[in-house]
Amino acid sequence: MLKYKGTRAAFSAAVLELAEKDPRVMVVSPDALKAMRATDFGEKFPDRVVECGIAEQGAVDVAAGLAACGQIPFVGTYAGFLTLRAAEQMRTFVGYPNLNVKFCGVNAGVFGGEREGVTHQFYEDLAVVSALPNYTIFSPADPEQCYMATLAAYEIEGPVYIRAGSGREVSVYAEDAPFAKDGITVWRDYGTDAVLFSTGFFLDRVLAAADLLKEKGVNVTAADINILYGKDDRRIVETMKKADHVFTVEDHNINGGLGSYISRLATEKAPRFVHRIALKTYGESGAAKDVADAYGFSPEAIAKTVTDTLGK
Amino acid sequence: MQTKELQAMANRLRLEAVRMVYEGGDGHPGPALSIADIVATLYFDAMNIDPANPAWEDRDRFILSKGHSCPILYAALNERGYYTPKVEHFHLRELGSRFQGHPSMQYTPGLDMTSGSLGNGIPIGAGMAYAGKLKGKSYFVYVICGDGELQEGVNWEGANVATGRKLDNLIVFVDKNNWQSNITVTETVGMNNPADRFRAFGWHVQEISGHDIDAIKNAIETAKGVKGKPHAIVCDCVKGKGLSFMENNNAWHKGVPTKEQYEQAVRELGGDCNA
Repeated sequence: MLKYKGTRAAFSAAVLELAEKDPRVMVVSPDALKAMRATDFGEKFPDRVVECGIAEQGAVDVAAGLAACGQIPFVGTYAGFLTLRAAEQMRTFVGYPNLNVKFCGVNAGVFGGEREGVTHQFYEDLAVVSALPNYTIFSPADPEQCYMATLAAYEIEGPVYIRAGSGREVSVYAEDAPFAKDGITVWRDYGTDAVLFSTGFFLDRVLAAADLLKEKGVNVTAADINILYGKDDRRIVETMKKADHVFTVEDHNINGGLGSYISRLATEKAPRFVHRIALKTYGESGAAKDVADAYGFSPEAIAKTVTDTLGK
Repeated sequence: MQTKELQAMANRLRLEAVRMVYEGGDGHPGPALSIADIVATLYFDAMNIDPANPAWEDRDRFILSKGHSCPILYAALNERGYYTPKVEHFHLRELGSRFQGHPSMQYTPGLDMTSGSLGNGIPIGAGMAYAGKLKGKSYFVYVICGDGELQEGVNWEGANVATGRKLDNLIVFVDKNNWQSNITVTETVGMNNPADRFRAFGWHVQEISGHDIDAIKNAIETAKGVKGKPHAIVCDCVKGKGLSFMENNNAWHKGVPTKEQYEQAVRELGGDCNA
């Protein structure tokens, strides 16, 4: 029995818990309480929800105003309505003045957005936010980690972006596992033929690929990267150095997300080949598992990319 | 402050703004002069502020939504005593200066919000006003936006929030000078009727001259007495007001006075400065 029905519900459960302890914690909603599974918050703390209507740019501005007066607003809605439509507000009125606003973008990726189709699936959010100084970027792998990520976001003074899905994410972490501060958790340590990095909700698939590879005699190290472009990259770099080939797997456009981050580290700190498994096109509607498989993220497809690349 | 003193202060701010642009070699003097009387009335009469304690939690807040008019705001902060010692040369828009091309709260003590990207002052002000209500504070949030700026859609997102949340502690001045960067507002969108638009959004609306200090004072008092609605004070203004060669001449939306023009500004505004 899962504690949370998906990452977005886990986010809102954590915000509710924080609000019980800290009167500064608020929710700013661009008509998103239902989408964020945050109706409980509205019932319990009606005065601490600012309902802005279907208006993301205005909602981010309202959050900036609240934060400038000492409140800690959490703004959640579909990832692209925040990071694309309200990108400038996130940049100029939150990032630039380094205001204490927390964002949660849901329906991230083809898997997170699944049946909604391209208008409600977002694979560009990390690229946008990674270009905004002062932001901390959390990309939790499952609901339990999203809960922990939200608590960790509260501890940071300044803007944080948390990437979330909808409700199909597969739990990998234990409920009480901490949100790794050094940005990496190694889950498979079979060998040094390659390193596989996952971020977000494909961790179970990447681990399954590592297991498949082991059966074929290809022994890899597989890890979850939960903080992107973070300040402490030492353990990530250390792990990269275990193999000559690093593979990144993410439900994001091939530019601007995990693959870009790891490529940067490979260029600057640990020269080696980086192979990026990511989206190169827009997605489409479909059940989460089906679209993920169709766009090249089945364990078999991930494993095949690794063996083909390594010539094994 | 008495009306006559405020008029003199407005002109002192005007001259300081022009000097700032002249010395810095860049900036927007016309839009700054348009709002000098409103800014003077706010900072030297209406607003409950303490320059010695710019982070005072109970202070009134101010957002210059039309951030390119910042020379007049920088001048007001300086005259009001936010800086010790008083700033003599602003180094406006110069590298390393506290006084950025558009207002930045990280750089300039006394600023309540970063601004300059048009259209965002009303929704940010709504957030500040909501925080005040939530915490039981009696402060007011003042915003000045331009009439051209109202073309940005996000203004109206904020207007909805303010109406929906009954933010009667939010007072928005509209600098209605009918100019924007390119042409007039009327030519651009076929009309210039901000009062009608704010009324349609459920706001309490007043229409006054933006250069009549008494009218500005009275409008603020009237707004404070009307509960349950946010307030728009639509001000008929003249872009470049106070300088004969700048008034209603949109070439001064952005521009730098020559030495001769600066000296003329000193002559035209200087007398009032010593009133």
